[in-house]
Amino acid sequence: MEGEGRSESAGSCRLWVGTCGYSYTEWVEAGFYPPGTKSGQMLSLYVQKFPITELNYTWYQMPRAEAIERQRGQAPPQFLFAAKLTRSLTHEIEPDLWRDQAATFRDGIAPLVQARQLAAVLVQLPPGFDRSLKNRSYLAALLDELEGLPLAVEFRHGSWATDRVFAELERRGATLVSVDEPNLPGLFPALDVVTNPDLFYVRFHGRNAAGWGKGKKQLQFNYDYTEDELREWVEEKIMKMAGEAREGVTVFNNHVRAQAPRNAFVLARLLLEYGLILVRA
Amino acid sequence: MGLSWLEHKDRSIIHLNVADFAVAVERVLDVRLRARPLIIAPQGASRAAVYDMSEEAYQAGVRKGMALRRARRFCHEAEVLPPHPDRYERAMKVFLKHTLPYSPLVEAEEGNGHLFVDLTGTGKLFGPPPDVAWRIRKAVKFDLGLDPIWSVAPNKLVAKVATRVVKPTGEYIVEAGEEGEFLQPLAVYLLPGLEREDLLRLREFHISQVGQVARWTLEQLETVFGNRSRKVYQAVRGIDFSPVLSARQRPLRLTADHVFGDDTNDVILIEAALYRLVEQVGRRLREQGRVARRIGVWLDYSDGVRITRQKSSRTGTANDFKLFALARTALEFALKRRVRLRHLRLACDRLTYPPAQQELFSLDEQEIRASDGLTTALDQIRSRFGPSTIRMGRGLVASISGETLFEKIKDSQS
Repeated sequence: MEGEGRSESAGSCRLWVGTCGYSYTEWVEAGFYPPGTKSGQMLSLYVQKFPITELNYTWYQMPRAEAIERQRGQAPPQFLFAAKLTRSLTHEIEPDLWRDQAATFRDGIAPLVQARQLAAVLVQLPPGFDRSLKNRSYLAALLDELEGLPLAVEFRHGSWATDRVFAELERRGATLVSVDEPNLPGLFPALDVVTNPDLFYVRFHGRNAAGWGKGKKQLQFNYDYTEDELREWVEEKIMKMAGEAREGVTVFNNHVRAQAPRNAFVLARLLLEYGLILVRA
Repeated sequence: MGLSWLEHKDRSIIHLNVADFAVAVERVLDVRLRARPLIIAPQGASRAAVYDMSEEAYQAGVRKGMALRRARRFCHEAEVLPPHPDRYERAMKVFLKHTLPYSPLVEAEEGNGHLFVDLTGTGKLFGPPPDVAWRIRKAVKFDLGLDPIWSVAPNKLVAKVATRVVKPTGEYIVEAGEEGEFLQPLAVYLLPGLEREDLLRLREFHISQVGQVARWTLEQLETVFGNRSRKVYQAVRGIDFSPVLSARQRPLRLTADHVFGDDTNDVILIEAALYRLVEQVGRRLREQGRVARRIGVWLDYSDGVRITRQKSSRTGTANDFKLFALARTALEFALKRRVRLRHLRLACDRLTYPPAQQELFSLDEQEIRASDGLTTALDQIRSRFGPSTIRMGRGLVASISGETLFEKIKDSQS
C-alpha cells in the first residue's frame, strides 16, 4: 500500500485492503505474480502488496495448526488473516458433530489468535440459509460456540436484513459483513450497517448477474469494478462505516484474471484520496 | 518426450478415495448393513479370504486377504457378505463419470474406489482445484451416496498419502513446496512404494517416521534399500514425477513372452519358462513400486489355437513367489489340451500401489520376510551384475532349452 492519510469525519479508523485468497495460478498469467511463480511462493509475494488476506481453503478443509503456523511464518508479524469458517459448520452441518467441528476449528486457527494476526472468522452462510426458526437457533448456538473469536457474519439470504438481526449481532459484538454483489431478488442487500464498533467488514463479490448462482466460480466472480463504482462505495458507505468503527477490512473476491488485486489497488488509492488511514503492506 | 518437463511445472493432482469401497457400495444398496461391522468375503469356500471390510472390522483386526475363519475370530459380530465385483465396477464407472468433465487425465485403479485427477492448468476454466475436488465429492455423494475422501497435492504420491492420513473421511490440501514438511511427521508405512521388507529393516533401525528417513543421505539409504534407494530418497521428500494417465489410455499392463525353440507339452519345461517370465515381470513391478492384482497366461498351441486364463489376487503382490503361485494356477486352468505349445505370454494388470502396510507381524511373518528378503537380494545382485547372473533353479530348465528363444518384456506404459 502506498501510504497513510487521515480524515476527521472518519475518525481514526484504520483500514485493511486485500483479496479473498491469494493462491490462484491464473494470477501469474494475469501478471500479478511474476512469471514462473509457484503456488508455494505466492504468499510471500502477496504480503509485499497487501496487509491482509482471507484464507479460503479453511472453508474446504478444517484448518490445522501446523499448516496455519507455516503460513504465518511466510508473512510479516503485522500481516492479518481472516479465516473462513469450515463448510461443516455453515453448509454441511451434521447435528451430532458440529460442536466438535467448532472446537477443532478453534484449535486449528489458534496460532493466529496467539500471534494476534486473526482479523476475523468469516461465517459465510449459504444462499438457502433463510431466517427460519431452525436456522436462527443454529446460528445463535454457533455464535455461542465460537464466542471469544472476532466473528464476521455474511448472510446471503435477504430475509436476514432486519433491524432485529443487526441488534442481536451488536449485542454479541459480532460484525455484519457488508457485501457488494449483483442486485438480484432474494440476495442480501448492500448495506452500511455497523454492528461492531471494533470492526466493519466489506466483501466485493463482483456484479456479474449473468454468472451468479450458476455454480461456476469462474463466471460468478468474473467482474471488473470501475473506478466510479468503487468511488461510490467509498463516498456512500465506507466513509460512514469508518466513522463508526475503529478498524475496517475490505476484500475483493472477483479473483478471475486477477481483477481482485487490481480493484483492491484502486480502492486503496481512493481511500487515501478521501483521507482515510490505510494500513501498509 | 520424457517426463523432465514435469519437474518444472506446478501440478495440481486430486486424489479421491472412497474408503472400503466394496463395503461402501453394499451399504448404499442396503442401509441395514450400516448398523454392524461388515466383512466381504466369498462364503462356502473353506479357505475363503477377506475381500474388503468396514472400518469397524478393520479396527477389530480384520485385514484384506486374511482367512475368513480367522477374520471371524477377530470380529465375531460382523456380518459377512459375498463380493459383487459387477456392482463395484458399475459404481466405479459412475464415479469416474463425475471427474471426466474436469480433466482428460483421470487415472482409475480398477474397482477399488481410487481416482487421480490431474487439474494442472485448468484453473482458468474451473477455478481452484480444492473447489473442483469438493464439487466432485458433492456430486458423487448426491448421485451414488458415496462420500469420497479427497486431497489436492502437487503429485500423486503426496496426494495418495494425504487421503491415507485422513481416512476414513475428510480432505487434505498440500500446497506446492509443503510436500516435505507434510510427510515428515507421518508414519513410514503410509508411504506408497515402501515394501514389507523395507519396513522391517527400518524397524530394526528404530525408525518409524518419514522425517527420520529423510535425514539419511543417498549413500546411507543405499545400504538399506540397494537399487531402490533413489526412489526412497525422493519418496520421503514428496518428490514424484509420475504422470496421471489418461482415462482413455488402456489400463496399465506388464507383459513378458517366451517362444519355445521346439514346441513342447512338457509341463516341467513350461513351468520353468513361466517362472522366468514371472521373474521379469516381478522385477518391473518392484521397480515401479506397484503390485499386480491379476495375472494372466496366454497359451498359443502349435495348431494355432489360443487359450487365455487369469487368476486374481485380492490384495495384489509384486513378490515372485506369490506371482508364480497365481500364474501357475492360471496355467493349470489353461493347459487342458494335449497339443504342444509354441508360445507363452504372461500378463500382469490391475496394477496398483500397495496398501499401507500396517500389519507388520500378523500373517506368517517368517515366511513373508524370507521370500521378500530373497526377492530383494536377487534384485540387488541382478541390478549390479546383470539380469542373468543369478537364476532360480526352477527357471534353469527353460534357459537351457530356450537359448535361442525370443524373449521380450513389454511395458504398455512406454
